Amino acid sequence: MARHLLTRSLLTRVASLLVSLALAAVVVFVVLRLLPGDAAGASLGVGTTSDQLEGLRAELGTDQPVPVQLGQWVAGLVQGDLGTSFVSRQPVADLVAARLPVTLPLSLAAFVLAVLVSVPLGVAAAVWRRGPLGVVVSALSQLGVAVPVFWVGVLLVLVLALQLGWLPPGGFPRQGWGDPAAAVRALVLPVVTVAIAMSAVMVRYVRSATLDVLDQDYVRTARSLGYGRWAALRRHGLRNGAAPVVAILGIELATSLLGAVVIENVFALPGLGTLLLDSVEARDLPVVQALVLGLTAVVLVVNVGVDLAQRALDPRLRLTGGAR
Amino acid sequence: MRTRPLVGAALSAVAALALAACSGGGSTGASSSMPQDEIVIGTTNEPTGLVRNVGGSSGVSQTMTRNVFEGLTAVDVDGQVVPALAESWDVSEDGLTYTFHLQPDVVFHDGTELTADDVVWSISDAISPESKLARKNDLAVITDISAPDDETVQLTLSRRSQSLTFNLAGLTVVQEGDSELGPDNGTGPYRFVEWVQGDHLTIERFDDYWGEQAKNPGVTFRFFDDPTALNNALLVGDLDLVIAENSPDQLVQFEDDPRFTITEGSSTTKQLWAFNDRVAPFSDVRVRQALYKAIDRDALLEAVWDGYGQVIGSMVPPTDPWFVDQADVHAYDPAAARDLLAQAGVTNLTIPVDYIPDDTTETVVQLLRSDLADVGVTLTPNPIDDATWYQKVYTDHDFQTTLMGHVNPRDVVWYANPDFYWGYDNPQVQEWVAQADQAATEEEQVELLRRVNETIGQEAASAWLYLDPQIRVAKAEISGFPVDQVTESFYVADIVREG
Repeated sequence: MARHLLTRSLLTRVASLLVSLALAAVVVFVVLRLLPGDAAGASLGVGTTSDQLEGLRAELGTDQPVPVQLGQWVAGLVQGDLGTSFVSRQPVADLVAARLPVTLPLSLAAFVLAVLVSVPLGVAAAVWRRGPLGVVVSALSQLGVAVPVFWVGVLLVLVLALQLGWLPPGGFPRQGWGDPAAAVRALVLPVVTVAIAMSAVMVRYVRSATLDVLDQDYVRTARSLGYGRWAALRRHGLRNGAAPVVAILGIELATSLLGAVVIENVFALPGLGTLLLDSVEARDLPVVQALVLGLTAVVLVVNVGVDLAQRALDPRLRLTGGAR
Repeated sequence: MRTRPLVGAALSAVAALALAACSGGGSTGASSSMPQDEIVIGTTNEPTGLVRNVGGSSGVSQTMTRNVFEGLTAVDVDGQVVPALAESWDVSEDGLTYTFHLQPDVVFHDGTELTADDVVWSISDAISPESKLARKNDLAVITDISAPDDETVQLTLSRRSQSLTFNLAGLTVVQEGDSELGPDNGTGPYRFVEWVQGDHLTIERFDDYWGEQAKNPGVTFRFFDDPTALNNALLVGDLDLVIAENSPDQLVQFEDDPRFTITEGSSTTKQLWAFNDRVAPFSDVRVRQALYKAIDRDALLEAVWDGYGQVIGSMVPPTDPWFVDQADVHAYDPAAARDLLAQAGVTNLTIPVDYIPDDTTETVVQLLRSDLADVGVTLTPNPIDDATWYQKVYTDHDFQTTLMGHVNPRDVVWYANPDFYWGYDNPQVQEWVAQADQAATEEEQVELLRRVNETIGQEAASAWLYLDPQIRVAKAEISGFPVDQVTESFYVADIVREG
């Protein structure tokens, strides 16, 4: 019975994910075409004539009505074809694939580091909420939330790369992961930068989730039965506190990807973020569409994953069949 | 229990990062395991694509023209037209037939011999109706291209053209039938190795080059979006040379540092406050002159470039043959500006300016604003991006004024095109420009274009603010790079590392 319910709710989730994705695709496609300027103009530049402009538009297919262009794009997508860049004329899939080895490790490592830092810190800050540790953690997380992520990056470069010379200030080795030591060194500062920004947010959530649990009757009862604060928390609190934290982790996993995209420019990393910026500037719409749709897909899929993880953690959610 | 392996993996990933971070010592990431004597050059100007005859990617000409791909002629680092794939040429008496004699023993980078057919194809393709090459119109004068034999190429023109050999320098030759630039189809001193979009482009010395061998074994151009990241890379030794510094603020960190050399050369980049001359009130020459006189260009240049650069009074940089110094024709004179505006009957003028925001243009807009307020004119800034500028200003002419930098040498001739974005329409100027290209001698051409230069300056067709300086920063042991930037290519074959 429970199993049947779970399958059905999974199917519902996947269906609504596909609908959201399709809607996102249409919105992205149309909004991009409302921007002033186009790829033909951006790539031809000063010194070309309007005949040449028309010629290039015809070649790229951007002279077609928007619904026709949308149809062609969707037809390609369904067959797994992301299209061809308007500017470099390379397949979009190749361009994206070339950038993933930078952005993916960057965002995953930042996420893992942020979890490893913020979960213990958040729990400790809740347990000793009135002690010096609790106060310091709260203050630091306030500061971390207030400061923009790229500013943290600039500061780290200034001190650790330019002053102390411990790490490269930016760039990625030409051989990529063929030179693993250099690749890892190139990613340390960006990872730390994104992780700092994420930890600041996550610590606050972990702390408040832990505080909620500490105030629950069952924890008080456990303590009255003679469990210490930590033992009570470990035995009854962690699993209860985990559900809201998992929800935040899901959001933060998506945030780590967006953080990576923002920070790549500061560190001159050839990742998805710099590709996105360059492509918007050049109105290279097939690339922008693929990237925005991809990021949207990641966020949606992570949301479904979070939902399922919460059900696994908390049996009460399973019985209500998804209504939360 | 299920979470244990995950946590374990995560822990080891972070540990690996930390270990690697500590173990690297002094060497920095990007430059390890490259040949010691390769030259690494930083720039913000990346090629957009390697397909030929689409626009005029300045990133492509900067890295590849003359280095990897050559034309019949070339423009050397001083701006002079010199022989390249053509060792010489004859011009018929009437100036309508050009016979180019190809260099013997030229081979492409895959070993194939260059023939006249390759040249004929490369030029025909560039001027074909399908070609989207920028400035294709400059070559419209060519009516026929033929190869009388394997070492000779003949061009027939519809009229005389003084600028033909200059324009041919920008038109590079590839193997017959090729529509893309690649590792096999160049003839230059370097062979194209790879371009990793968003990161770098590498070229290596070609040992069977027909001319003088490159003095370094290879060059990598690294591309940056952010000037700070670019200069950081130079500071820590990841770069040997930065082609162009965009602001004097970046220079402070290299001044008085014996590890670096700073050079100041001239560029051909003219910064303009361009008016839409076809609409009122800018169609009135007095209004344009008044606005031009209202600007304290010396103060503006000082604020933007801190003593570098040069004030100009027309579209012509000193390195173009028809330069006449006109910086003082409409010198700063707010009183005269007010008079001219009164004569034109213009009061309470509010002018929008479309510009692409960066540190420099923001400063320029602020200063223009206060200078103009002083003569009773209100400037309203309208920041837009490149692609929007091209659509709104360049294509649709839907603007009143705009800030724009024009990098090309010899582009004063655009004032003879009434359909150009600024819409300056003076039949006399159009006639002079047409005559100049058809002139029988170079002296005659220069004389006519001087007149053009003086006329547009007098009529303040646009407000030319200043000429950018060309500031490069290099490691002290690097030499042999061109100091001036008066052509579109950045010639690297003479760059050497000493010691």
